[in-house]
Parts: sequence; C-alpha cells; structure tokens
Amino acid sequence: MEDYGEELRTPPVSLVCLVGLPELHSTITTYLHSEQPPVNTLALPDFSKISIISKKETLDSSTHHPGGILKKDWLLKHRTKIPGVVAALFASDHVYGDPTQWMQVCTDLDNLKAAVRARNIKLVVVVVQSSVKDEASEDRMTALRKRAEIDSKYLLTFPQNDASELKESLNRLGSIFAELANTYYRDEGRRIKTRIEKKNINFMELNVRYCFKVAVYAEFRRDWVEALRFYEEAYHTLREMIGVSTRLPPIQRLVEIKTVAEQLHFKVSTLLLHGGKVLEAMTWFKKHIACYKKLIGAPEVVFLHWEWVSRQFLVFAQLLETCSASIPNTASFPPGMLERSLTEWEFYPAYYYQLAAHYLREKRFCLELALSAPETSAVPTGKDIRNGSDSVVPSVYVGQYARLLEQGDALEMHLADTEYVLYALAEGKRFQDSYEIIALFKKSSESYSSLKAQRMACCCSNLMAIEYFALSDFSNAKQLFDSVASYYRQEGWVTLLWEALGYMRECSRRLKSVKDFIEYSLEMAALPVASGNETQFSEGKGKYGPTGPATLAQREMIHNEVMKLVKGAPVTSSNLEVTADQPLHLEIDLVSPLRAVLLASVAFHDTVVKPGSSTLFTLSLLSQLPHPVEIDQLEIQFNQPICNFTITNAQKPQTEAVSGEQVSRSEIAPALALITNKWLRLTYDVKSEQSGKLECISVIARMGPHFSICCRAESPASMEDLPLWKFEDRVETFPTKDSALSFSGQKVIQVEELDPQVDLLLEATGSALVGERFMVPVTVVSKGHAVHSAELKINLVDARGGGLVSPRETEPSSMDSHHVQLLNVWGPNGEDESQMGPDEIRNIQQSFGLLSVPFLSIGESWSCKLEIKWHKPKPVMLYVSLGYLSHDNEASANKVNIHKSLQIEGKTAVSIGHQLMLPFRRDPLLLTKIKAAPGSDQLATLAFKEKNILIVSAKNCAEIPLRLVSISIEAGKDEIEQSCTVQQGCGSSPKDLPLLLPGEEFKHVFSVIPEVDSLKLGLGEVCLTWMREPNSEEQSPASSTTGVEVRVLTRHKLPDVNVELAPLVVSLECPPHGILGDPFTCYVRIQNQTKLLQEIKYSLADSQSFLLSGSHNDTIFILPKSEHILTYKLVPLSSGPQQLPRVTVTSVRYSAALHPSVTASTVFIFPSKPHLKLDSEATRKTELIATS
Amino acid sequence: MIVCVAVVGHQNNPLYLQSFTEADDALKLHHIVHCSLDVIDERVNNPKKIGSVLNETFLGLLYPTENYKVYGYLTNTKVKFILVTRDLDVRDADVRNFFRRFHTAYVDAVSNPFHEPGKKITSRIFAERVSTIVKSFGLSAAV
Repeated sequence: MEDYGEELRTPPVSLVCLVGLPELHSTITTYLHSEQPPVNTLALPDFSKISIISKKETLDSSTHHPGGILKKDWLLKHRTKIPGVVAALFASDHVYGDPTQWMQVCTDLDNLKAAVRARNIKLVVVVVQSSVKDEASEDRMTALRKRAEIDSKYLLTFPQNDASELKESLNRLGSIFAELANTYYRDEGRRIKTRIEKKNINFMELNVRYCFKVAVYAEFRRDWVEALRFYEEAYHTLREMIGVSTRLPPIQRLVEIKTVAEQLHFKVSTLLLHGGKVLEAMTWFKKHIACYKKLIGAPEVVFLHWEWVSRQFLVFAQLLETCSASIPNTASFPPGMLERSLTEWEFYPAYYYQLAAHYLREKRFCLELALSAPETSAVPTGKDIRNGSDSVVPSVYVGQYARLLEQGDALEMHLADTEYVLYALAEGKRFQDSYEIIALFKKSSESYSSLKAQRMACCCSNLMAIEYFALSDFSNAKQLFDSVASYYRQEGWVTLLWEALGYMRECSRRLKSVKDFIEYSLEMAALPVASGNETQFSEGKGKYGPTGPATLAQREMIHNEVMKLVKGAPVTSSNLEVTADQPLHLEIDLVSPLRAVLLASVAFHDTVVKPGSSTLFTLSLLSQLPHPVEIDQLEIQFNQPICNFTITNAQKPQTEAVSGEQVSRSEIAPALALITNKWLRLTYDVKSEQSGKLECISVIARMGPHFSICCRAESPASMEDLPLWKFEDRVETFPTKDSALSFSGQKVIQVEELDPQVDLLLEATGSALVGERFMVPVTVVSKGHAVHSAELKINLVDARGGGLVSPRETEPSSMDSHHVQLLNVWGPNGEDESQMGPDEIRNIQQSFGLLSVPFLSIGESWSCKLEIKWHKPKPVMLYVSLGYLSHDNEASANKVNIHKSLQIEGKTAVSIGHQLMLPFRRDPLLLTKIKAAPGSDQLATLAFKEKNILIVSAKNCAEIPLRLVSISIEAGKDEIEQSCTVQQGCGSSPKDLPLLLPGEEFKHVFSVIPEVDSLKLGLGEVCLTWMREPNSEEQSPASSTTGVEVRVLTRHKLPDVNVELAPLVVSLECPPHGILGDPFTCYVRIQNQTKLLQEIKYSLADSQSFLLSGSHNDTIFILPKSEHILTYKLVPLSSGPQQLPRVTVTSVRYSAALHPSVTASTVFIFPSKPHLKLDSEATRKTELIATS
Repeated sequence: MIVCVAVVGHQNNPLYLQSFTEADDALKLHHIVHCSLDVIDERVNNPKKIGSVLNETFLGLLYPTENYKVYGYLTNTKVKFILVTRDLDVRDADVRNFFRRFHTAYVDAVSNPFHEPGKKITSRIFAERVSTIVKSFGLSAAV
C-alpha cells in the first residue's frame, strides 16, 4: 500500500488559492485546515505568481490518440496545484486609495481573471480592511465587482479589528470557499460527465480517464456514492480494453491495464471498506482476482503477473487491517451468506497475507525461470541489463515506461517489448524477495495464531522456514521447523512431519551438529511411512524437502546412512563423524519422539521378593527402524547400582570391558538383533540384598565403538502406545511372552525386610485407674538375631480414634491437655533411664517416646517399664515398635522392625459424692429457701454459725479392692480459714479406714459451721487418698521395683454454698425414745436471733399415738435476742416408731412457716423399758447413718 | 475435478488420504487438508456463526486457497471427510451427493471386523470404491 502515492491513499481535499496580502495567509490557512471538511490552501504572496495556475495550451484530446490511460500527475496536480477557488486579497486602502493604487488593483484583477477563466476556477475578491477609519466607498466597490465580473456575494470585506470580528470574517470566508469549491468540482465533474454521456469518445482510454476524473471530482465533493459508481465504471471499461487496444506493444499494454486496474480497484476497495461495506469489498476483491488472475501475459514476464497478484493480496490485507475495527462480527451476517460465498478466513488479513506470500513465491520461481531461460540469459549478462536499463524511466502515464533519450529536454520514446522485458528482469533481479516472503508469512502466521488457527499458523511457519532454508539461514530455519514438527508429531501427520524432519536433518548436517543429525535421521527412519506410491520422485524434487518424498525406500536409505555414521564411518556428503573424541550419547525418555527407535520395556515377574533370593526379570526391546539393528552391548541400570549388569552380544568381537569402570555382573547373549516391530525379549535373574524398592531405571544400548542410546525403562503395565504408530495397521505383540505379565508387569519390585527374630512383649494386666501411675512392662527378647543399635518407639493413640487431646474437653484447671500421658520409662532394674550415656537416644513426649535399646546378643533379653498416667477415663492403644539391625555394619544392613500393640482401658477408681444436711431437730428459718421458686437451680443454703452436716461418700468403681488411706477436706484456696470451720465428723479417725471391695461405698461425716455470712462460700475439696490393695502373690509392680508413690490422691470439688443468718431457729428437744405409757416432756425452743420483736403463731396437730398436754395454738411475741420455749407433756399410747404431734411455727413478720421434718419428729416407743448394752457412741453413729 | 479426498480421525490424525492428480503435489495437498481442520474446528466450536442446522453433517466450503477449494463433512463419530477440488464452479448438491456416497463407503470399510477403529484405513476395496466415486463426481447430475 505504501507503493501508492499519498494522493491515492487519502481522500482528496478541496484546494483554495489565496493571492496577495501574504501576512494574512497563515491565519486563513490554519482556519481552513481546521474546518470540517478541511480545505487546503495554495498561498501565492503576490499576483505575479499567478501564472502557475494558468492553463497550458494542450491538444484537443478527443481527436488525437491518447498516449495512455491516466496521467500520473493528474491527481496530484488537482490536489496541490489547481485550486477550485481563487481568492484575491486586496487591502482596503489600495481599493479606496489614489488612482494609481486603484489602477494597480484593476491590473492585478484583470491578470487574475485571465488565468482563472481558462480553468473555470471560481473567483472571490476580498477587501481587507486595514483600519477602522477606512471609509467605504460604494462606487469603488461596485466598480471592483464589475471589473471582477462576480456576484456581489463573492465580493467580501474582511474586517479584522478584534478577535470576534476576525472570527466572523473567517467564518464568512470559509463558507464562501466551501460553497464555491463545491460548485467548481461539481461543474467540472458535470462537464466531463457530459463528454461521457455523449458517447462519441473515440478512444476507450479516454472513457476510462473521464470516468476516473468524474469519480475524483465526486470525491472532492465527498459524494462517495457517485465516486464509487464512476470508479467501478472506469474499472469495467478498462476490463473491456483487454484484447482490444493496440496502442502499445502487447506486454506493455497488459502491464499498463493491470496497473490502472490496480489503482481503480484500490480506490473501490478503500471506498467500500471505509463505507462499512465489508462483504461487498470482499466480494469485489474476489471478482477482481478472478478477473485478472488468468491474464498471465507473455511467458517471459509471468513473474510480473504474479508480483502483481501478490501485491493485490498484500494491499487488500493491509486495507483490511487498517479498518479492522469496522469489520463486523461474522455472527451478524445473515445465515447462508457464509456458505454461499465467503468462508471464515476470508474475513481476516491473515488469509490475504498468506496468499500474498504464496504468489510472491510464485513470482520468484517464475523470475528465476525467466532468468535462467536461454534466450534471456544468453543475450544480456547482468551488467548489460543494467547499462541498458539505465535510461528507462516511468513515463508520464500510469503503468508505462519510456526510454529517456535526451536528458536535458526530457524527450521520451516508447520502448519495444524486448527492451521492456530486459528492463523488467533487471528490476526484478534487484529485489530480494525472500525476506519479503518471510515477512508476509510471519505476519500471516502471527495473525492465524491469534485466531487460534494453529494449523494454518503452522503451515505458514513451515513455509517461512523453507524460505530461511533457501536463504541458508539454517539456525532460524531449524528453530521454526522444530516448532512445526512438534505440532505435526502431536497430531500424527506423518507426511508433513517427514518433510519438516527432512529439512531439520539437512539443517543439522549443514550446521555440523552430529547429535541432531543422528536424532532426526533415526526419527525419520522410524516414522510409520508405508511402502506406498513411490513413483515419479525425481521429477517433482522441488516440491519435497531435501530428503525426498516419504517412502519406505527413503527410510531405508536414511537408516543405512545413519547406521554407517554410528558405526564410525563418516557420511560422504559432509564431514559428520562419531569418533572417540566426540562420542555420542542419546537419551530417550518417555515423551521423546525417538521412542519408536528404541523402546525398552522391563518387567519383574514378581511383585515382592525376599532379600537375597533371586527373581526373574524380562527386558524387552522394540524398534521400528526399517532394517534389523545389531546391538553390541546392553547395560541395565537399577536404582541399586549393585544390581546393574551388562549383556554382551556373543557375535560381536569382544572388546575388553570399558576400563575404569568396576567390573559388575556380565552376561552374554547369543544375539542382540532388533528386527522391525518385533520384541527382543531377554530374561535374567536379579538378586538384591537390600530391602526396599528395586527399580530398573534405564537400559543403555551400545552400537559401534562410540555411540550409545540410553533408553528410559518402562513398565509394560503402564506403557503408552507409540504416538505415531498407534494409528497404523500393524501386528501388535506383547513385550513379554506371558501376556498377563504384559498387562501387570512393573519395572519396580519390592524387596522385603528380614523376618524379625526378636520378641517384643507387652505385659500389662487389667485396666488402669485414673490418677495412678500405671506401669506397662516391655520386654525385648532376642531369639535368633543379635540386636544392634535398636530403637524403641512408643506411641499412645486414642483407641476410639482421634487424638488424646480434645479441645472441647480441656478445662482451664487441668494442668496438661493430655488425657493420657506417657510420664517416664523405667529401666530394667528400676533406675531412671534418663541417666544414660550421651550417645543414647531418649525422647519422651506426652504421647510419644523414643529410646534406644542396648546391644543384646542372641538369647539375651532386656526390659523396661512404661509409666503412663490417665487423667480421664479413656481407652488407649499403646503401640510399641522396635527397629534394630541384625548386623553391626550399619551401612549394608537394613533395619528390621517389630510392631506390637496393646489396648488399655483407663477407668475411674472411686467416685465421690456428698450431701449437706441440717442439724437434727433444729430448723433455722432460711428465708432464701422459702422464697426460692421451686425447682430453680440454686446453691444450697446453710445457716450462719449453725452446725451443718456434710456427708461424703466414696464408691469403688474399679474391679479390684482398694485400700483407702485417708480422707479429708482441704480448703480449695485460702478462704476456708475464716469462712467456715470444717471438722472431722463424729469420731472415726483416718487410721481405720476400710478396704473397699468393688462396688462398696464408704461414707464419712463432716460438720460444717459457716463463719462468714456470704452469698457464695467455697467449701473446699474432698481429698481421698487410696491405693491398690497389695496382692500377696502378684507384687505391686510399681512400688516394689521403683519406689514410686503408689498412693493416689483423688480430689473432689465441693460445691459452693450460700450462707445466711437465720432470723429464727426452732429446735425440737425430746428424748431419743419413749416407753409405752411413760410420760415424757417435749420442748419446742424458738430463738429470735434478730433485734426485732417477733410475732409467732404456732399450732399443734393432735396425734393418735400420744396423749398430749399443752396449748394447741397461740400467738406469742418473742423479744429481740431471746427465746421462747413451748413445753408439752406426752404419754405414748402405742409402741414402735411414732410420729410426734406436728408443731407448726409461723412467723408473722416473714410470713413463713416452719414444719419440722417427718423423720425429725419421729420417736421410737419401746413397749417396755429396754436393756441397752451398746455403748453410747455406737448408738449415735447408727442414728446418724440412719438419718442419711 | 477432485484432486484429493481425506478421512481424518477424531483426534485430527489422518486415516486415509488419496490424491488424484498427475502432478506430484501430494505434500501440498497434505498441507491443505491439515489446514482445513482449523476451519472445521472453528465451525464445530461456533455452530451459531454458520447459521446452518445443527445436525447438518455437510460443512460446506471450508476455504478457497490458491487454485483449490476445500469442502468438509463431519460424521457423528467426529470423523471428518475432506474434499479438495480444482473446479472453480462447484455445485453444492454435487458435493453433498459425493459425501453421502463417500460416507457409505467409509461405513462399509470400518464395519469390516478386521478393521480396528481409530486406525488407518488400508482396505483396497475402499480405495477402489473411492476412486469410482471420485471419477463420477459432477456427472451424477446427469444420471
């Protein structure tokens, strides 16, 4: 597109000429430029310069034969030299000035008129007011107008006193200019149009020219529709000229027509594309190409035709690219549109770039052909051409060339066709098309990539690479081919891959890269190319890569060549060589394209093996190379290097083992020949002493003295198909004879550990009790192995799963968060294992322990005890594992491991309960108790300074008898000293605590006297110390050996109580028992502890069992801090436990009644006087227990 | 004149490719067929753009290049048939008819119990049938 002039590429802009008063020109020019549409100005400083627009006398074109179709400079002339409007600027003082000045004005005007009239250019006269004072003279103005012969509208005064006035003047000037320019271009267009319409034009050239002119004038007016119409008209007329015109020699004639057609087409395409008519533009382009593509022309200059076609595509691609924003989405096209005419890619520049490159290649091909043709090459050598063509220059007509005869006078002469051909060839030689082609393909490839059309992009890259190859830029070519080849490999397009590989092979040959050359050669030789059509290879050599078409014969040829090279013979065509100085080593991994060259599948026949015992191992090799391949030596490598071995071909002359390498196992195979598509299977024994994984890593095949291929070993079970061969119809066999092994075989085998010959015993009995330090004896007994550097690992795991820590259950009070804890490990003799040598390992954590076990020779044993403490009842799995070496040599041997586990229940030993009671037959009036809503959860309330009774019970929950050691109540913190007095209940000293059998309960009584009136009083904790009952037969494991405290302290927190002062205390005093018929006295003592007078009502309910004397009910007043005693005399009437008459005391002040409890008001009546033998203390004790 | 027909598998690998030209431009035809897969991908991925019926197996003109026109056909098993012709004026009906007959031939070839699905078609009978169909291309309208 850059080849075209600026005038062709941009739409034309109206031209206005300013004459006179140069100081104003820049203001007006700037203003007109910024107008919409803009107007260009041609500024002439004074009137003498006017001659440049005056018309030269020309011949009447309609009668003489025109020299060409379009004049080259016509468009430029009209855009830059011939204005549509001329504005004559006169200063007002000249116009209104003295007669000489006026005369000068008139002369200038006349000259101007003469120049303008010839071209129908419109005239505007502008009188520029230089100052305000200028008085306008009507007469002079009229005279001026008459002289200029213009409408009064086009005679302007141009005041410029201030900015707004200047603006106003410019505006007026602008609109007049626009109007007149429009008129001018319309008139000119019309004038030429009438010539066309008269249809009496003798020459088609003129017809084309006139249409072109009309279109250009229409463009000046921005009448795009008319412009398009006439450009098309010109184009069609031009097309008709082909074969009719005889003006020029045939070759040049066609060249001229094509050049003009190109210009017209360019105009049409630009107008269509900028008008948003993309579809039309594309259809137009297709027609254009279809129309002219066949006009190849004379055979000597075919290259000119292809160059022209290529340019058409390139220009259209560039046009499309520049207005790509306006290209509509293909989705918006009406359905069916695409199917009929246009396909996807035709909407993108990439397509056109690609074809431009293609035709440029065609051009180059034809040019080369033309240059090598005998008639052209014989006559002029390169120098002659240049000399001869020096004087050939482009003619004044578009698409014509002429010979410049005399430099000075610029006289031109038409060329003969032979001369022109020579000139064209010389011009063609000057350009390097390859770089242009590469650039075009590159653009196309990038564009296709962005459209996600990878295959198209690949195709372009391929062609690009071929260009580089032709330019001998081998490294660039190779890089491009490499990317192309990887895509073709992926998609399995063997023929295309063959071509790319062939080029790469040639590149590496030229680049002297032996390794690449061999790799590409091997890959090519192993490609699945069938023996297909092997005809006419020789004639079409140019169309294939350097290695010819993909055939079996070619594969075999390549195979032989590369094998020769590998065996040390240099390739004749280049000095590639594999020598001792440059040995070659190829790697084939799982994704390498060379897998088809050598595929190694290895399988162990077993999945596990004992150390030291041998197992079968099959190595299978497959090659797709067309000829059998002899391997000199195979080396099989394992992850345990000691297992590596080599297999040597017995048929090869044995070179001695590679020096410097330690001689490992070596086998000899009768033959190591790989036949095409046939597995070579070799089965050997493998033995490993080391337990763990034994994996075959790679197989190295050595061929020739300095060449080896390292092939990654693959398991048959997980082996991928050969990517290219899997589409082939070939015989497929299993890598191993046993087909089951082919499906399941692995390249890895597990070598087991030695059987342990050491016992590990865990000897815990029964379940553990919460709080105690539970001992688990662990014994290691060596039976068949000495134990070296052994380690004991201990793990405590929650038997129900989960950890031993539960964040939900952790209480802030508990010191550690572990419910079960490994505390310590005790040595065999009770010594603490922490006193050990520095090299011993010892690491005890809460649920994990690691410690080392000393050396044990065969038959010895060693034991230790694990000390574990339960904080919560919880079953726990104890895992103990022992790892040891059976030999002293640490490096060689493997650890043997023994694992043991044991589940241990943790149980609560004693459960402690408590009960708070009021003193017997003494009822303090506790207001909170009365007021409390029934059922509400409240603290127990105790009366202040009253003796309360606390009963603590301990129940044995364990399955073994427990010996209680002591029981006491301890202050939780510091408050108990002052707040209350807790005393051991009546009697029983801590010494004679009983042995609690399983399920038994022990109760102990404490009395509590609150000393502080507090809403919340802590009573402290019950501390119960107990121990397992030492068994006479089975010695307590802990105490005997370790001296660890075996007593366990269990704590039980007593709840807080509410203490309050009781305002009234009612106590019932009566003898513990009565005798039938024997009267006794009963007192109800009512104590007022307040400083207030208390009104008390009491009532007494009759009882059938007693005869009663005393007042039944009454209201009494009790003085502050005093008491009142009600006295009754009772005579029992029946024996047994009898209910005393119920006394109800009601405090009026607190409206609260006190009812003594039923048990408190029960009295045992003996039928006769008993003879009591029990001592008084025992009686009391029984009574107390009974009350609870 | 048909210059090339091809069967391309669902992994876009060539299963059958036969050219019918005197000139030795098999490689070029390989390139053209391979590139045409891009258009098929584009059409299959954006079915709305074509505006044709979804179930249509005939994909129409894929792209014109140089002197060739490429037509495509997509079976239900994502196997593609590609036809390269040098004729400038090809009737859609002819191409449709060709593909229909070609499809039948293909179905018969892959129904052979000795043919493994997904592998290249090597049947000689298939090749003969294809060349018969190719020869009769464009004449069918007269029949």
